[in-house]
Amino acid sequence: MTKLICSLLLALGANAAEESVRRLTHSQYNNTVRDLLGDHTRPADHFPPEDFLHGFKNQSRSQEISPVLAEAYNTAAERLARSAFGGGEDRAGLLPCKPAKVADRACASAFVRGFGMKAFRRPLTDAETQRYVALVLKEAARGGRFVRGAQLAVEAILQSPKFLFRVENGAYEAASDLSYFLWDTMPDRELFGAADSGELSSEAKIQAQAARLLDDPRARQALDEYVSQWLRFDQVLNTVKDRNLFPQFNIQLAAAMTEESRRLVADLVWGGKDFLDFFRADYAFINSDLATLYGLPAPATEFGMVRFPPDSERGGVLGQAAFLAMTSKPGETSPTARGLFVRDQFLCQQVPDPPPGVNSTLPPVTVDKPSTNRQRLQEHLINAACASCHVLMDPIGFGFERFDAIGQYQKKQAVMVMPPDRKMRPIRLELEIDPRASINGIPNSAFASPKELGRILADSPVCQECMVKQLFRYAFGRHETAEDRPAIEAGLGVFRKSGFRWKDLMVHYAGALAMGKGGN
Amino acid sequence: MATKNRSARRNFLRGIGLAGGLVRIGLPPLEAVLNSAGTAYAAAPGSKGADTPIPSRFVFWFNGNGVPERYWIPAATGPEYAMTPCLTPLTPFRDDVHVLSGLDNPAARMPGPGNDHHRSMSGLVSGTSFTGRGAGAASIDQLIAARFGGDTRFRSLQIGVCQESHGESIQRNLSWAGYERSLPPELIPHNLFDRMFGTREATWIEGKKSVLDAVRDDFRDLQTTLGKNDKRRIDDHLAAVRDLERSIASLPPDYRKASEPGLGGDVKDYPRIAKIQSDLLVHALASRQTRVASYMLTKCQSLVRLPWLGYTTLRHHDYTHTNGDTPQGQRIMRDICRWHVEEFAYLLARLKSVPEGDGTLLDHTCLLYVHEHAEANPHKNNGLPAIVAGYRKKLKTGTHTKAAGTLGDLYLTVANGILGAGIESFPTGRKAVEELVRA
Repeated sequence: MTKLICSLLLALGANAAEESVRRLTHSQYNNTVRDLLGDHTRPADHFPPEDFLHGFKNQSRSQEISPVLAEAYNTAAERLARSAFGGGEDRAGLLPCKPAKVADRACASAFVRGFGMKAFRRPLTDAETQRYVALVLKEAARGGRFVRGAQLAVEAILQSPKFLFRVENGAYEAASDLSYFLWDTMPDRELFGAADSGELSSEAKIQAQAARLLDDPRARQALDEYVSQWLRFDQVLNTVKDRNLFPQFNIQLAAAMTEESRRLVADLVWGGKDFLDFFRADYAFINSDLATLYGLPAPATEFGMVRFPPDSERGGVLGQAAFLAMTSKPGETSPTARGLFVRDQFLCQQVPDPPPGVNSTLPPVTVDKPSTNRQRLQEHLINAACASCHVLMDPIGFGFERFDAIGQYQKKQAVMVMPPDRKMRPIRLELEIDPRASINGIPNSAFASPKELGRILADSPVCQECMVKQLFRYAFGRHETAEDRPAIEAGLGVFRKSGFRWKDLMVHYAGALAMGKGGN
Repeated sequence: MATKNRSARRNFLRGIGLAGGLVRIGLPPLEAVLNSAGTAYAAAPGSKGADTPIPSRFVFWFNGNGVPERYWIPAATGPEYAMTPCLTPLTPFRDDVHVLSGLDNPAARMPGPGNDHHRSMSGLVSGTSFTGRGAGAASIDQLIAARFGGDTRFRSLQIGVCQESHGESIQRNLSWAGYERSLPPELIPHNLFDRMFGTREATWIEGKKSVLDAVRDDFRDLQTTLGKNDKRRIDDHLAAVRDLERSIASLPPDYRKASEPGLGGDVKDYPRIAKIQSDLLVHALASRQTRVASYMLTKCQSLVRLPWLGYTTLRHHDYTHTNGDTPQGQRIMRDICRWHVEEFAYLLARLKSVPEGDGTLLDHTCLLYVHEHAEANPHKNNGLPAIVAGYRKKLKTGTHTKAAGTLGDLYLTVANGILGAGIESFPTGRKAVEELVRA
């Protein structure tokens, strides 16, 4: 008899890391054209969607440019340049001078140097300046207007690989690393200035810049982007529920669920609190719809803070509807999916995909055999082929069974069963729930509610390290490798020493990104 | 400008309403772009290309999630087969199609990452196993495009319909240029139209050339400074920019006649969008802007909602696994898959309505219609059904064959035996499906 062992895939990127140039993510593109051109239209929202890899959309391995994306960049560049110079006016204030004539070479040169510096995030080489000045003058002459030339130069620069990929070097690379990690957008004038003057070669100066960046509202937008990817808001917003069973579920409610998660993280990070309260907070930021869903009094203001009553089984992210609904099927919960999400997102343990050709359909619930999810999933744990992996997921998921497919508390599990006579309507049964659960691989991890699991995770070194790894992957745009062990340890050390303050961890990895590059 | 667009939009939509009728709308009427020999467009009389023979075209057509076999696959084989409930929309085209079943997708069963849909899709398009992120090699349409795409404005087109935000790269893409190199479909009719027929001023074209010249020079600066992996990505990007240049440099002469469609109406009215996209594809093929296209009605493991069929509680993939084996569940999938076939039949009708040479555009186009699974609920990846259509001078039509071979065998037969593309190999292809080719 073959013994099947499901090994968690811990070292996914076991090969030595290859440093790779990074493309602006769609989110970074939107923010960058906003800061560069004052354009708030978020053009990248219409680009071909980005892929998640290692849990995030910013992994350099997934950042190729397909023909459709190149065309989308082309179209967006054309439109952005046109609106910057709409009607022959310098609407975005990009021209540093008033052109004296159509072919004003001095003005063209000043414009190209100034705009090019911001777009390429470093000073232009002479060859580049000449290239773009020539473009300005040629097209200005053809169109009979200086701004026509400037417009086409902007259009070209916005689809240059030097704008779209972060290929800048030295101190300017350090500046971009800091701003794209901490702000999700291009550097500001002060950061460029610091790169220019060679300040970014000193660790203290880098830390000072990182601290300054974190005090800026742009840091909040960057954290929101991180959270929306880590917690897969895209999946929450695309969640579909059976409209007969959950008529109250709609896109507004799904959006409110993501907002609740976002606000909890923001409260912990910007309030300087212990980040691990993400798993055990006994309060939530909810609106009146979520208050109804949770059976709580509505907050004084929408998304105001509400404390859970002491006997509540909710606590932190694991009691939030975003997590509970996203990991459920349209009509019922999925202990497997919930367990898998905890492994993936909060323990950084990858459970292998099911082998080819398995029948993933659970036995149907019938009148003769009214069974809870726990009973139906027994097959997973009895059949050796299934059990080796499912033992890692299902026993975690059982602990959430008191929360239904949209995150409502349920004392008993309601199931609809098909009567033997198919002409009759389905019958609703209520079954007792056994929420006893545990995490295979973590000792003393018995729990029976999200609140109890939250405490276990917050105390678990595996989970603490996972928080560090997730930020590492996001910061560096790649999976960690064996060689990154010291970098993970260092991050973990900082995180622990700070009493698990997320800002400290961000400053640490901002420094790790930028250090050693700024020597110029 | 705005008023002009609005009226163009109205005209466009009016045209779309005539299902099966000629699409006047903002498009150049096809008669205007084809001379009586069907050889024109972009080839003025006397110029190079005016006397070239009518080219062969290829369309790779897909919808996600498999089929309810009992309602899709005909019980009998041979020319006497009865149309099944799912295939009824093809009744008028019985003599233009060859229905296949029994095909195998062995690459889907190789151990590796991903769920069944991921693995089946990679095997389906490329005959290789899923890499964890994408297909392991070029898809069949791209192998054919490598042979056919050299002298057309677009090497190939990727067209999609349902805007499903869910899913990963392998689920959203039918066409792959190579290992993990996806070629996403254009889902927005407006954008697709703009690529092919958008109004352009002469100064726009000149300006665009200057812009792309400068961009290309920036690429050259980077060639020497990057590592191997980065260089590959930058090279792909450069290739995409070159394709863009080519499409601009080879604008057809009467490019400016067409006016822009808008995106009026319900953007989730996918049956309507499917028809607009088919119309645009027919124009692209007729006007010789491309010879190879892929058309993705829904994505792999499709999560599309189907309100026009009256099924609103769940999405397609949910239906396949929610009582998917019960009579009621099977009937729902029957209706869903009949809609898929309806949209395929619409494309056949449009191709057939365009005269070309002494036949129609359909006679010079070979279409290959596939799914990632046979029966959807168990994710079955053998016994797969497929349809090959058009190109009657080579394709044997009017029959149902239970083939013994693999998808690769089918692809090689279509590419070489029918289209004469001369591709060398395909990973899972061994021997020809002889029943498919006219002696």
